[in-house]
Amino acid sequence: MEQVVNGILVVNTETIPGKVITETMGVVSGSTVRAKNVGKDIFAGLKNIVGGELTQYTELLQESRNEAVGRMVADAMSIGATAVVNVRFATSAITAGAAELFAYGTAVKYE
Amino acid sequence: MKTSIANIRLFCILVMSLFVSFSMNVIAQGSDEGSGFPFVVVFLLPFILLSLFGIIWMVAYPVMFLWGAVFSSGKVEQMHHEANNRRDSLRNRKGGEILNTIDGGYRTDVSSAGLVSANGVFGPSHWHLMIGFFNNLIGGSVTVFQQVISAGRAEVMQRLREQAESDGWDEVINVRIDTASMTPQSSNSKNTVRGVEIYAYGTGIKYE
Repeated sequence: MEQVVNGILVVNTETIPGKVITETMGVVSGSTVRAKNVGKDIFAGLKNIVGGELTQYTELLQESRNEAVGRMVADAMSIGATAVVNVRFATSAITAGAAELFAYGTAVKYE
Repeated sequence: MKTSIANIRLFCILVMSLFVSFSMNVIAQGSDEGSGFPFVVVFLLPFILLSLFGIIWMVAYPVMFLWGAVFSSGKVEQMHHEANNRRDSLRNRKGGEILNTIDGGYRTDVSSAGLVSANGVFGPSHWHLMIGFFNNLIGGSVTVFQQVISAGRAEVMQRLREQAESDGWDEVINVRIDTASMTPQSSNSKNTVRGVEIYAYGTGIKYE
């Protein structure tokens, strides 16, 4: 039930509902830059002519975000935290089809 | 970045001109011997394929453009309508709205919490882009883009609700909606995909 990534609790609220934070351990972050292959780029370009949802890019960004969160959690684990609170996401498009996804938050210990 | 692209272009032109001169050579030799036909086909094959692709594209692009002109607005409206219908049925099932933007971290009657997220990339069709271009000349609100974005946002919000329901959360607090452009501002290439990514995330909570 509880969404725990590798034993670390991840929420985007300032405190953890129903838990007490005992120690803050600083900012942790994870980022990734991903690009889809040329074939899917061409297909997305074709889909763009008629409009609507570009499923290829939806999948690409979802996978990349999961990876960014995974790296952030690994960062939190390496300093011995038990949860990451106040998680934020930032995105920047470097070139068309390649995107940088960045996740950051505060590593804490809770009871 | 720019110099590397220029280098690649130069290299391509060099290779192509070498290719053409070589194939011309082969054609000339073939005409002397009278058995050069297969060589000619082999060396001209890339060019034939390229021109074939161009011809197909010349036919396919207007067809797809017209398809977009006729159906894309209706499809956007239909997507918005379906998302709203699904939202209403979920509200009836759950007995109210389950998303809210307040930070409920102070709650003490909660047994567990975790991140929930949903996303989608939506692009206006080339027909919409053309209408948007003419709309820009006059000024005012560009309704076509607004329709696409709001339909996409309704769809992503509904995906977040469904994700929260399937993960077993009772409510989602502190919902944030981010919008990111898939096309960078610095890129002035015409061949890029126009799309906007909508990303919604929040903290799912479960009551005791």
